[in-house]
Amino acid sequence: METNGIKRQWDDFYSYVERRDVIFYYVGYFSQSIIAAMADAVKLRVEHVGAVAQTRRKLFSSFIEIAQNIVHYSADSYRKEGDTAPAIRHGAVFISLTDERYYLHCANPVDAEVAGTLRAKLEHLRSLTMDEIKSEYKETLRSETPADSKGAGLGFLTMARDASAPLEFEFSPPTADGTSMFYLRATI
Amino acid sequence: MNNLFIAASPTSPEVDFRFDERRLSLKGESYPENAAQFWGNIITALRQFLEADAEVAAITVNVALAYFNSSSTKMLFSLFSTLNDKAKAGTEIILNWYHDESDDTIFEFGQELKEDFADLVFQDQAVQS
Repeated sequence: METNGIKRQWDDFYSYVERRDVIFYYVGYFSQSIIAAMADAVKLRVEHVGAVAQTRRKLFSSFIEIAQNIVHYSADSYRKEGDTAPAIRHGAVFISLTDERYYLHCANPVDAEVAGTLRAKLEHLRSLTMDEIKSEYKETLRSETPADSKGAGLGFLTMARDASAPLEFEFSPPTADGTSMFYLRATI
Repeated sequence: MNNLFIAASPTSPEVDFRFDERRLSLKGESYPENAAQFWGNIITALRQFLEADAEVAAITVNVALAYFNSSSTKMLFSLFSTLNDKAKAGTEIILNWYHDESDDTIFEFGQELKEDFADLVFQDQAVQS
């Protein structure tokens, strides 16, 4: 049968995905309804690959925190003219599974000010032991919500608590308008 | 005081506050777009009920939340704080905290509540999966 290259295209794509152990991937706009739909897909996918219940819960929890972070902080927003609904934001997320460890990755553009806040928060979290993370979590739970937070200041603490290694992150050099890409990786 | 019922959505739990029966229930998952707003409205209704309430009978609170995100966590803490104040003032409040027996995260959050809100009659309810 004559080929028109479609299968070949898929084979290339699949072989790359497989080589990088990717089990879930999404790039595009993030909104609350997109997150809800993806949450379902992620739940089914990690069940399908055989993750135990506690790992599934931690992956799901970290996925929601990451996705809602993108909605709150991504610098690349899209809003239809005259639209009063909250802006939808651009970002990317993927989950990989290597040697029975799950890695949750996300990338989204942030402006310089947000980058500074994120860097300070994450560097601080990386300097803590798991016991310190848990006690800071308890403290934050009982404190007033910081003004710069659309969540409750608990998001990264929740991810750090659920992760089995310190959260890793990187920023790309800023472009002319001061925006840089923020990359985050959580090991579950 | 009218009862409060909010049907579950994909990202928010069922809220079934039967004030007339003194039975308040939460069931499902909670990661709404704006947790402060979603839970804020519920807490306001709860406060109104508790302030006007002069009965002595116990109030039963059944919570079966399978997942809640970080911003909901914060609001839940505030909801239980409101209930604890009422308990402190003399009304018996029983909190049935349902969770999957293997779910350490929700079990541990229950333990935080038990520790901080000692006036509530906290009953851990581990459910077999």
